[in-house]
Amino acid sequence: MVVQQRERELRRGPPRRPGWSLRNYMALFMGVLLAVAATAGFAVRTMAEMDARQSASADTSYAAQRAANQLKSGFDAISALSLPVVANPGVAQLFTDPSKCGIGYAPIAPFGTGHIDIVRLDGSVVCSSRKGVSSDTFPMYEGQSWLQAPQPVVVAPVFDRATGSEVVVISYPISGQGAFVWFLDLAALGPKLAADLGSGVHQLEFLVTSSDGKTVILRSIDPARWIGRSISGTSLGTGEAGRPDLNGTQRIYGRSTIDPAGWRVYVGANEAAALSAADQLSNRGLAIILAGVAIMLLVTSVVYRRIAEPVRRLSLVIRGTTAGDAVNAVGLKGAAEVTNLAWDFDRLMATVKNELADRLNKEQKAIVSERNYRLLFESHPQPMWLYDVGTLAFLKVNDAAIERYGYSRDEFMAMTIKDIRPPQDVPKFLELMATPQPHFDRTGPWRLLLKDGSTNQVLITSHTTTFDDHEARFVLAEDLTENQQLELELHQSQARAEANAELSKAKDEMVSMVSHEMRTPLASIVGFTELLVTRKVTPEQRHDYLGIMLQEGRRLTALINDFLDLRRIEGGHLTMRYAPADIKALIKRSVALIADPTGTPIQIRVPEDMPLVRIDGDSIFRVVANLLSNARKYSPNGGAIIVGAGVVADMVEVYVEDEGLGIPADALQHVFRRFFRVDNPDRNGIKGTGLGLAICKNIVEAHGGTIRVRSEGLGKGSLFSFTVPLARDSSQMGDVLVVEDDSGFAHLLQAELTGLGVSSIWAADAETAERLMIKKKARAIVLDLLLPGLQGEAFLARLRVKHGSGIPVVVVTLKDLDPAESLVLHRAGVTAILRKGPGMAETAANLIAKSLATELVAG
Amino acid sequence: MRTRTPPGLQVLRTVVIADDESSMRLLVHATIESDDYCVVEAADGAEAWALVQKHKPALVLLDVQMPGRSGLEVLRSIKADPSLAATKVILLTAKAQESDIESGLIAGADFYLTKPFSPLDLLTRVEEALQL
Repeated sequence: MVVQQRERELRRGPPRRPGWSLRNYMALFMGVLLAVAATAGFAVRTMAEMDARQSASADTSYAAQRAANQLKSGFDAISALSLPVVANPGVAQLFTDPSKCGIGYAPIAPFGTGHIDIVRLDGSVVCSSRKGVSSDTFPMYEGQSWLQAPQPVVVAPVFDRATGSEVVVISYPISGQGAFVWFLDLAALGPKLAADLGSGVHQLEFLVTSSDGKTVILRSIDPARWIGRSISGTSLGTGEAGRPDLNGTQRIYGRSTIDPAGWRVYVGANEAAALSAADQLSNRGLAIILAGVAIMLLVTSVVYRRIAEPVRRLSLVIRGTTAGDAVNAVGLKGAAEVTNLAWDFDRLMATVKNELADRLNKEQKAIVSERNYRLLFESHPQPMWLYDVGTLAFLKVNDAAIERYGYSRDEFMAMTIKDIRPPQDVPKFLELMATPQPHFDRTGPWRLLLKDGSTNQVLITSHTTTFDDHEARFVLAEDLTENQQLELELHQSQARAEANAELSKAKDEMVSMVSHEMRTPLASIVGFTELLVTRKVTPEQRHDYLGIMLQEGRRLTALINDFLDLRRIEGGHLTMRYAPADIKALIKRSVALIADPTGTPIQIRVPEDMPLVRIDGDSIFRVVANLLSNARKYSPNGGAIIVGAGVVADMVEVYVEDEGLGIPADALQHVFRRFFRVDNPDRNGIKGTGLGLAICKNIVEAHGGTIRVRSEGLGKGSLFSFTVPLARDSSQMGDVLVVEDDSGFAHLLQAELTGLGVSSIWAADAETAERLMIKKKARAIVLDLLLPGLQGEAFLARLRVKHGSGIPVVVVTLKDLDPAESLVLHRAGVTAILRKGPGMAETAANLIAKSLATELVAG
Repeated sequence: MRTRTPPGLQVLRTVVIADDESSMRLLVHATIESDDYCVVEAADGAEAWALVQKHKPALVLLDVQMPGRSGLEVLRSIKADPSLAATKVILLTAKAQESDIESGLIAGADFYLTKPFSPLDLLTRVEEALQL
């Protein structure tokens, strides 16, 4: 389930995780790179343009200044030449005597061509640098106001009709008679300035306008067309920034002015030309940036192709989990690290696959072998089972076990391993279980209980294992054949020899102890007998001696009886007849036996709802009576004695507590030993056989219970407790209830009834019988009249009250009945009254069977 | 403890009987009852030793198995006490094994009797010990 889910997850691909893939990072990086490059390019370009404009602007301003200076120096030179001429009195004489005229024109930088005239105020030419010029040939002077000006005048542009070209006129008045006038050709001046100052990369335009900026005086470009033209309405003079020139070309202008004319000098740089240089510069910068970007892109691409892409493919392959494909997917393109990773992954995948294949193979084999083993277990001819070491419950049994022991599989599963042991073997078994078990063990012979109640001897081979999460023990139970038993005995002979030595020593001790215990009463009996025989004694003495002899004789008898009983129980020769019993009634009877009317009454603490126990009534009665008797004996100064019972786990615990002499701690573990007596003067004169508690221990353990003692020490009292099993559920009850305190006769009667096909249940006292009747009503009752507690007659009376007269009752008793008593019984609906004796069990059984048959017919 | 003082002026010798069984004490006492000596009884070893020290008896009849101090321990104490050099000891034992007899004799008992014993036999031994 989990594996499948994981597989589905793998197929779906990795879950979305926060964070970017390398591809995204690379795209982002490239985008940022391009943006930075573009910004840098744009900045470079803008800066280059700004630089170009500034440089052009500076260039033009400087050129304008220089052009103005050149023109100024020209004017100054002209002024320097002219002023002495005008002041010369000889020149004034010319007006009266023009024949003395003789002037020539030499070009004055920057002016090129031109000529000089001396003119009268009426405009007639007195003298000219040009030959053959008369006043009438100079019509241009007509109406020229500047001729009359008292100060030197500069006028431009003026169309020189004589030459047909535009000129600048510079006139110096000569003592109210006329003027000394310069005509300087303008057409060549612009190009000359351009040539002198150099147009350079900026392709400078030189433009001079009138002081109002409305008329072109000179221009370096296309001068013939533009000189004298009005340019009012153009944008010249409105600012320094780029603007179109007269031809419409975009220019950056610098400007200056010249005295005395107040001319404006404009120098314009070709904006396009200026910017083209900036373009070149910025283009170079851009090229470098682009080269850088290109390199970065290349690097990025390589990195991507060598790392990101191989890693992505590797991831796809890993998702597909196919060995060998990783290296193929990454190929030779990947970076060494990625290729190595792919190699490693392939190796890992190969290992995993091999491992997986191996494990599958093993699992397959395991399944096959498990099947074989199960078959081996199920159909093995010897009985086998598994049980839980903790709970001792059966976990599994094979067919042979079911067939051999007679329990069904379900019955087996409802039982624990204890239930198939005879009860007297259970303590030994539990003791064995309490010690650490060897992993493998072969022990025996053990006795196992079949469903029909018989036992068989087996040899148990077992080992520890795990079964369905239980810590379990696997058991093979072989029936012991004669040969095996011999073999086993041989096998164990060594151990037995050692055990025999110990046993023999124990027997020696036993003999010694018994002989000692017997010798004391015997010494009294024999001694006093001899005194009686050999001496003359007073009647008083005789009485005393005989009393002691009787007492010691009884003591000897009790000792012999106890000893024989102990031997019988220990040897497993005492037959326990288990039957449901009311423990409270049993305790009450024990108390009645021990009770001493002069002493403190014994308190009984048993809950009303105590469940029935499954015991041999006579034996457990003996145990309780023995413990009570001890409590009384060892409480010489009185003190409370309490006897009680309660359910503890799945057992019933009975306890006897006293406030007597108590037991010292070091003696506690020995009190159940034969002939052990606490060696303390406080109990001098308290007599006992020394066997009571040993017998108790044996009886309790034969029931599968345990007996314990507690004491806080000398003078602190003692508490003895023992456990007995609960009676099994009442569904096992039979049709006939046998109420009989003589277990031998009850057993005989039950056997007879079984022989007739009638099931029965036995109650050793009337109290138990009443409890059983409450649980399940019997169909007939065999009743003894002489019972330990409640008597037969009383039981019968109460039966009739509770259950009516429908149940047939057969009375079997030793009691001599007078006619009146018999009549009472018959009136109470007794079917027959039989006197106990040989063959009477059979008779009673037949009577019961008959009455049951009648009841069937009637009912 | 029962002490019977016989008539006369003679200072009587004392015999101590030590046994934890009252019937045995009664039997021994009845058997050896005499006017020639005075008999005292002890029910355990400690009491026996106290009486021995008090009376410096001529004879002690000791049961071997007693609670507290055993008969053999009392015997050893008697033998170790120089003031009791004249005291004779007869052991009464329920143990009948050779090893027990040996250990009893080694401890210095003058005689021993195994239970059950003949009262006449016991009387003979007592008279022997007291040299009556």
